[in-house]
Amino acid sequence: MNKLSTLALTICTSLAIAQSPVNSSMFGVMEARQLGPGTMSGRITAIEGVNNDEGKTIYIGTAGGGVWKSTNAGASYKPLFDKYCQSIGALAIDQKNPSTVFVATGESNMRNSVSIGNGVYKTTDAGSNWKKIGLDSIEHISKIIIHPTNSDIIYLAAPGALWSNSKHRGLYKSADGGQTWDKIFYIDDKTGCADLLIDPTNPQILFASMWQFRRQPFSFNSGGKTSGLYKSIDGGKTWKEITNGLPPKPFGRIAMTLAPSDPKQMIAIVENAKTGLYISADGGETWKNQGATMNTVARPFYFSTIVIDPKDPKRVYRPAFQFAYSSDGGYSFTEASGDGGWVHSDMHALWINPSNTNVMYLGTDGGVYMSVDKGITWHFNHALPVGQFYHVGIDLKEPYNVYGGLQDNGSWTAPSAAPGGIGNASWKRVGGGDGFWTVPDIDGKTVYSEYQGGNMSRVNIETAKAENIQPQKTSKEEKLRWNWNTPIVTGSKNPKNLYVGAQYLYKSTDQGRNWTKISEDLTTNDKKKQEQEESGGLSADNTSAENHCTIFTIAESSLDENLIFAGTDDGNLQYSANAGTTWTNVTPNIAKCGVAKGAWVSSIQPSQFDKNTVYVTFENHMYGDFNTYLTKSTDLGKTWVRINSPEFTSFAHKIKEDVENKNLLFLGTEMGLFATVDGGATWFRMKNNIPEYALVRDIQIHPKTHDLVLATHGRGIIILDDIRPLRNLTKEILDQDFYLFQTPDIILNNGKFGWGGSEISGDWSVGNPSETPTINYYLKQRLSSGKITVEIYDEKNNLIQSIPGTVRRGINMISWNLRGLPPKVAEGSTKMDVAGFTAPMVLPGNYTVKIKVKDKDYTGTIKCIHDNENKDLSPEDRLLVYNKALQLQTLYNQVNNTVDSINIIQKGLKEDSTAYSKNKNAQVFYDDLQKVKAELMATKKTSIFADEERVREKISSLYTNFCGMESKPNTTQLQAIDDLQSEYNTQKTNYKKAITKNIPKNLELKKKLGL
Amino acid sequence: MKKLISTLIIALLSINCFSQNLDEIVKKHIDAVGGKDNWAKVKSIKTTGSVKANGADIKIVMLQVDKKASRQDIAVMGMNGYNILTTTEGWSYMPFGGQTKPEPLTPDDVKKSQDELSILPDFLTYKEQGKKIEYIGKDDVDGTECFKIKMTNKEKKEVTYYIDPSTYYIIKQTSKDTKDGKEYENTSSMSNYKKLDGGIVCPYNISGGFGEMEIVSMEINPKIDEALFKIAK
Repeated sequence: MNKLSTLALTICTSLAIAQSPVNSSMFGVMEARQLGPGTMSGRITAIEGVNNDEGKTIYIGTAGGGVWKSTNAGASYKPLFDKYCQSIGALAIDQKNPSTVFVATGESNMRNSVSIGNGVYKTTDAGSNWKKIGLDSIEHISKIIIHPTNSDIIYLAAPGALWSNSKHRGLYKSADGGQTWDKIFYIDDKTGCADLLIDPTNPQILFASMWQFRRQPFSFNSGGKTSGLYKSIDGGKTWKEITNGLPPKPFGRIAMTLAPSDPKQMIAIVENAKTGLYISADGGETWKNQGATMNTVARPFYFSTIVIDPKDPKRVYRPAFQFAYSSDGGYSFTEASGDGGWVHSDMHALWINPSNTNVMYLGTDGGVYMSVDKGITWHFNHALPVGQFYHVGIDLKEPYNVYGGLQDNGSWTAPSAAPGGIGNASWKRVGGGDGFWTVPDIDGKTVYSEYQGGNMSRVNIETAKAENIQPQKTSKEEKLRWNWNTPIVTGSKNPKNLYVGAQYLYKSTDQGRNWTKISEDLTTNDKKKQEQEESGGLSADNTSAENHCTIFTIAESSLDENLIFAGTDDGNLQYSANAGTTWTNVTPNIAKCGVAKGAWVSSIQPSQFDKNTVYVTFENHMYGDFNTYLTKSTDLGKTWVRINSPEFTSFAHKIKEDVENKNLLFLGTEMGLFATVDGGATWFRMKNNIPEYALVRDIQIHPKTHDLVLATHGRGIIILDDIRPLRNLTKEILDQDFYLFQTPDIILNNGKFGWGGSEISGDWSVGNPSETPTINYYLKQRLSSGKITVEIYDEKNNLIQSIPGTVRRGINMISWNLRGLPPKVAEGSTKMDVAGFTAPMVLPGNYTVKIKVKDKDYTGTIKCIHDNENKDLSPEDRLLVYNKALQLQTLYNQVNNTVDSINIIQKGLKEDSTAYSKNKNAQVFYDDLQKVKAELMATKKTSIFADEERVREKISSLYTNFCGMESKPNTTQLQAIDDLQSEYNTQKTNYKKAITKNIPKNLELKKKLGL
Repeated sequence: MKKLISTLIIALLSINCFSQNLDEIVKKHIDAVGGKDNWAKVKSIKTTGSVKANGADIKIVMLQVDKKASRQDIAVMGMNGYNILTTTEGWSYMPFGGQTKPEPLTPDDVKKSQDELSILPDFLTYKEQGKKIEYIGKDDVDGTECFKIKMTNKEKKEVTYYIDPSTYYIIKQTSKDTKDGKEYENTSSMSNYKKLDGGIVCPYNISGGFGEMEIVSMEINPKIDEALFKIAK
């Protein structure tokens, strides 16, 4: 046993060594900003509300943004699921105990870009804490139903894997609140359970629709002989197939519903050769075909929702391509009104408040809408930042802009900072359709954007006018094959080079006005993978989403513009060292390091430090393989090593090398962002207010601001500002108990982004990055006892300000407001005086920062420099403003000192209240002083809206003006200082007069106070 | 052999992860903050502290008499405000935002706030106060992987505590509450724990939505004038 424990200990120790010396929590103080937007949201997959809560509590499941909760009927939302898988298939609330909620991960709207899940989660405290309860391998789940009278019984419909055969699909049941599950209905490894109903009046009756389906990278099939509609009358023990009145098989996906108020009334939309809507009035035993309008039958694999009103069996809703409703039990449908504006097409979820059925929430490909008139008109919820970006571009402006294309929501741009922060109004549309690459040109006014299948434009940002620039084939060439997500890339070495890829690579040096084909077909050109016109299965579905044998990624070396790499969706990686004259296919060399053959080349990162080094990610999820493939070559593709880590989860989208530290790399996968600071030897998951399993599709690092910019497929654009602490954390620093980083030079101003007012209610908004560099230090261990104080000294060693330091393990960031100490404020006013929080900004110069850590001192320097970009304020002006502010501060102190003196005497007079009430002289003295005090400062009891201005308030106002001044003061402002000095002098004289007049009559007090 | 090793690793890892049961964590925490016996001797505390805002000091004085009364005085810019809570009444006077006279707490609020009058650490009193605790798991707080424990009172108000496994001090707590239909979430962080007279251990640095409070002094069992728990008429 001893030997064994030694062995186990050794193994554990070696595991510990293999772990990264750093982790995300060491940088926890660096919190990413989620820019949204909320102006266009993302695909919503599930909506559930608490029934007996006046419709206030709503849970929203999204395609790639986790779960969000509103407790105020959609006025605001909070994310609940940031530590878990972000692809949500289904939600269920236990209405008998609404704190219990189930989340099934893995969306089941089976489009090409759908993500996968990793299990079912349960909360018993309304979302504060979650536990994974199993079913990890199902991948896609469409529904969870809790038994209406016994909350321990739960049913779960699992279409299952999209890209492979799977034994995990089918219908599951739990009898113990989700702790254990039995698969109670299974047909085969190709056929899953797409939809599920329970009869609320007799929960032994269940309906299940079984669905055979499969995607391949180049085709989709919905339908097969094993699809069908089934009924159980014994709680799911046995099932019989229902055929009476239904069309001939094969079927595709079947969506179905029953009327909760009259469960024998049922509707089903059955995908088959002639997809149609079917109605049953006898609990599903017999069916009649009633219609086939476009909105009820289009794209059954994608639009699988139909709902009957909880109270009215005649009122039926069909959220699909458009929103349609029926008032006659599904016989005829009307489309929702356009009043109030366009409602995003492509709908997947609907929740009707059963206690007020006028109110309903709709989930679309572009967010959540709410209706209060039974679905006739809709309001958009603007605060759900769950947009699904594919890529992100950045420019070099200040502040810089981000650009990106979204699934079903066009292409957009927004500044990284704006007056008051980034809100929905900061975003501007640059393209339509499904958006992908959105790339700014170096000229500062042009952006290249596209929609699905390579339809690309050159867009003038200022005029929003777009010119199509897609290269066309010559008569001698094959039809061009453009990926759904066609690469448009500008050169990393020469940003005037513009590249786009079909099966050939094209290059333009004049913004897409002319193109040169710089390669032959770089793909495998496998004809069997080019039959997209046959795609869809029972319903044709050919939207360029299955286009294959195309170039998917392009990269120009930042060290040599002639060195170009191209990767394809069918596994080819090729490079040219002569700007495209000749190409070398390095694909065969890669297989040796364990990358699956034919895997998509998802990103290429030529090293910025060595021409022969290149990092490449591959992904093979469309063949059911979710491994993380990250590879590196240091000999220009001759040999490869695979970089792996136990931390990695799911397939890889993007590898990014830092622009300054070659050992710092970031990897974006379908489930998370990972970083290494040791060149890839060890990795850790990035958290930092980034959802831990975010679908990270693209990564940029800004060369000027050092920001890490992420395109997530479900949480919009995310920026982690200024990653220099991560970049600079060397092993030498990590070994020290404490390390003070050099503070970058501080430009003295009141920030650079301006004031933007208050955010509009109901919008998503996020703040700006810190406008002033922080004082950063590293602590090896959290300080449990003792404190840290950060002190700033000027060149004459005067203490300017003392700031409490934080004690967290890892990086600590301390903000100094660039000011000294504010003046003291005398007691007795009825108003808060803002001057008491204000001090003039320090002057340019060298400052010392002294950090006291328990009994040890560490010192560093801070250089503060004049803001030369501010033409309104010369260095001489700055000095004038500073001196005048100090003059006002002195005056302010004088006022407060006089008030303090008055307070002391008044207190002295009143101390013996019995004597005071009988002492006329004391009362007169008190009142005389009170008159002076009432002139010196506001003393009336009043509300914050009453502007009582006395000498102190006037000085305070001018003083705070000077403290915030960033231009030369005007003459009236300067004159006002002298005037206020005179006003004070008058009151000072009055004060002295009151003393002289009253002291002889109050000699006892004189003695007591030593006057 | 291979199976044996893997089983052993799993066993060892799980020992590492789950060996701490809830009672043990609570016991170690109580010991870390001075122990039950020392706390039993504490009947009153006077705490003086300051919150820094833009370099300005906001002075805070807190008086607590165990299970009887508490008072906080806040001095900002020459203005003074206070909160008072006793077993029978509560008052709040915060003139900084324009409040002109003290306002009483509703009888219901006074009743619901009685637990706050206890001077002892929450984990010493939770049972007698009818609260329930639950071990949630481990969670990161400022770079430290902490024990996360949820405490729920009779009204379902939740407070979550994060205990540093190296010291067993609480370094963060969050609470959720609903009042008049409005939801509140509060987070406080604690550091700089010091051992005081009588052997109890308290944080000298508490930060939260209000800013960062540094405690200057804590007096144990001072005499406190009961008149201070009545408002000045």
